[in-house]
Amino acid sequence: MGAVIHEAILEGDLVTLRPFRDEDVPLLHQWSNDPDVLRWLHLSEDPPELMQSLEAHRERWERIRDDPAQMSWRIDTKDALPIGELGLLAIHPSHRRAELGISIGEEPYRGRGYGTDAIRTLLRHAFGTFGLRRVQLITDEDNERGIRCYEKSGFAREGLLRQHRLRHGEPLNMMIMGALSEEWDSHGIGAGK
Amino acid sequence: MISECIVVGERVRLRPVGERDLPHFVKWLADREVTRWLAEMGDPPSLEDEREWHDRKRSDPDNVLWSIETLEGRLLGNVELRLVTRARRAEMGISIHDKTQWGKGYGTDTVRLVLAHAFSELELNRVELTTDETNARAIRCYEKCGFKPEGILRQHRLIDGKFGNTVLMAVLKTEWAR
Repeated sequence: MGAVIHEAILEGDLVTLRPFRDEDVPLLHQWSNDPDVLRWLHLSEDPPELMQSLEAHRERWERIRDDPAQMSWRIDTKDALPIGELGLLAIHPSHRRAELGISIGEEPYRGRGYGTDAIRTLLRHAFGTFGLRRVQLITDEDNERGIRCYEKSGFAREGLLRQHRLRHGEPLNMMIMGALSEEWDSHGIGAGK
Repeated sequence: MISECIVVGERVRLRPVGERDLPHFVKWLADREVTRWLAEMGDPPSLEDEREWHDRKRSDPDNVLWSIETLEGRLLGNVELRLVTRARRAEMGISIHDKTQWGKGYGTDTVRLVLAHAFSELELNRVELTTDETNARAIRCYEKCGFKPEGILRQHRLIDGKFGNTVLMAVLKTEWAR
């Protein structure tokens, strides 16, 4: 894992995943100003003035960029329009697992299969080229669209974490979900590409 | 951050980790019977590795670390809280490194003390932990202290060449206070 692999541009059916770059940071800033995006992000735990400035996004991105256990991609449509971002974090080579995070920033592209295609494209490479065994994620219990998308992408529900985070100060349960390479292969979820 | 405070329970005392503890940790962590339950443990650490570990924890503002000893001052292991302050939550990691002292209630007393500190002093809302699904002794101890299982993470850890499941458990402040 690491820098060499992360040069890769990953092609899906609807989207292209490109390694995230410094010059993409203003997109993160723009997207997180949408309350419908922010609502689902851990950023909503912080006071807005603290975390949502362009400078704060730049600092966050630089920490991610310099962390060998994280990889991030920009999600583009086939017309090269950036619509969101996704990443692997907590990459743990010895246990062959990682966590996944995704956000579709452009409203017209939500609920239309772009997120599902982005996740399937990443999982195909995570289980294939990267040799991971397990990819997990946590999401807000009331994020029904997200959970539906994750299930379509090959994730199974594994547990409910009670009051795991605060959203604008209110305790919120989170669902933990996992995708396994052996299920991915045997169910053919990753087939067709 | 190495905790400045000393916490005393019925059987154990929690105190800051000192340099003199590190050679004992190194000796115990060479034993696979001890480390097989420690999720993040790779090869047995050298004294130099343990010094780096100690320095890293000491400079991390989101980490509270104690050594565990008996009331007579016999070193047993260590325990830490990894804080996520903005979510008022922490993850606990505990190990009684000295396997000759397993099953004597030292772990249970330690977990109770750390929970009291987490909820009363640090004003956390939730403390969580993960453990190997087959670690029955630990799971029993955590349940006695109020933890409830919340999920099973499948094939979460690779131990001795086999993938094993991990149990995720948590206790909330409202449950603990009862």
